[in-house]
Amino acid sequence: MPNVRIPTPLRKYTQGREEVTVAGDTVGSVLDGLEQSYPGIKERICDEAGKVRRFVNVFVGEDDIRFLDNLATAVKTSDEISIVPAIAGG
Amino acid sequence: MTGGRFLVLGAGGLGCPALLGLTAAGARELAVVDCDVVDATNLHRQVLYDLGDVGAPKVEAAARRLRERVPQLRVEPISVRLDERTLSSLLAAQPAGTVVLECSDQPDLKFLVHDGCRAHGLPLVIAGVQRWGGQAMAVRHGAGACFRCVFEEAPPAELAPSCAAVGVLGAAAGALGFMMAHLAVALAEGDDVAGTLVALDLRDLRPQQIRPRQRSGCAGCDPSAVPAPQRPLGPACSTSAGPACSR
Repeated sequence: MPNVRIPTPLRKYTQGREEVTVAGDTVGSVLDGLEQSYPGIKERICDEAGKVRRFVNVFVGEDDIRFLDNLATAVKTSDEISIVPAIAGG
Repeated sequence: MTGGRFLVLGAGGLGCPALLGLTAAGARELAVVDCDVVDATNLHRQVLYDLGDVGAPKVEAAARRLRERVPQLRVEPISVRLDERTLSSLLAAQPAGTVVLECSDQPDLKFLVHDGCRAHGLPLVIAGVQRWGGQAMAVRHGAGACFRCVFEEAPPAELAPSCAAVGVLGAAAGALGFMMAHLAVALAEGDDVAGTLVALDLRDLRPQQIRPRQRSGCAGCDPSAVPAPQRPLGPACSTSAGPACSR
């Protein structure tokens, strides 16, 4: 199953886990699986229309999904998905 | 490094280690901007200060400490609250070659600084830190991806938790502040770091380097794109305490 790196601000949903594995063959289905396992996390990543929020970026490996097929981007079991939100503090 | 001028916006958790790193690296001239005073509860990450500085303007305390370390260093303390007007004036007054370090804790301000640096042709390093980690990115407008290529807009206040609410590990601010200094020196020296975003989390000790692509239609760097709308500046990290610089 693809590995998902959870950013610090979202680890309260994953009981502090920095990485989780979630079944899915696209980024969107992985995010749906993430929500099933960790309720509440998806709305921090996607907006009401289901799109990735404008201050969050999702990468498959080193590739920005906006340059691929967005949430329809295919993922393999060996892939690592990184969720990278803009961090505000200073 | 044999000199260089750096404008450091915010003398808090990121600004303090960034200033130390720049000074140690041989910066010739620093300008430090903040409107806040030293608070005892922030000393774990604002490592330029001690209990004797509590209540003093941060920029004055920072300038004093830096001059003690390097007497020949030129340090300009600027106590001003940054908003659209003061920021524009400040950036317009910078000599060519100045590298800007955005160290504030205001999400909207970070983007305003980013866009202002584009307008004035200034390279910058922009960063954020919370809890165990954060991110830093070097930007030279016109050379590679900009911050808005990665993040199209600032998080809204309701989704940007307060630093006071979630905390900031002192070591995380230190690591990212020194990373900012490193990237700023590299920009000043012309090294190929522009467009690189480094994310760091001290909990899993796995730094992550991202070299985002320049995004067509990016409001931060695509001349054909509609400029990003400027929202009124919100409070620092969604605190109710009002605008701040670097708490």
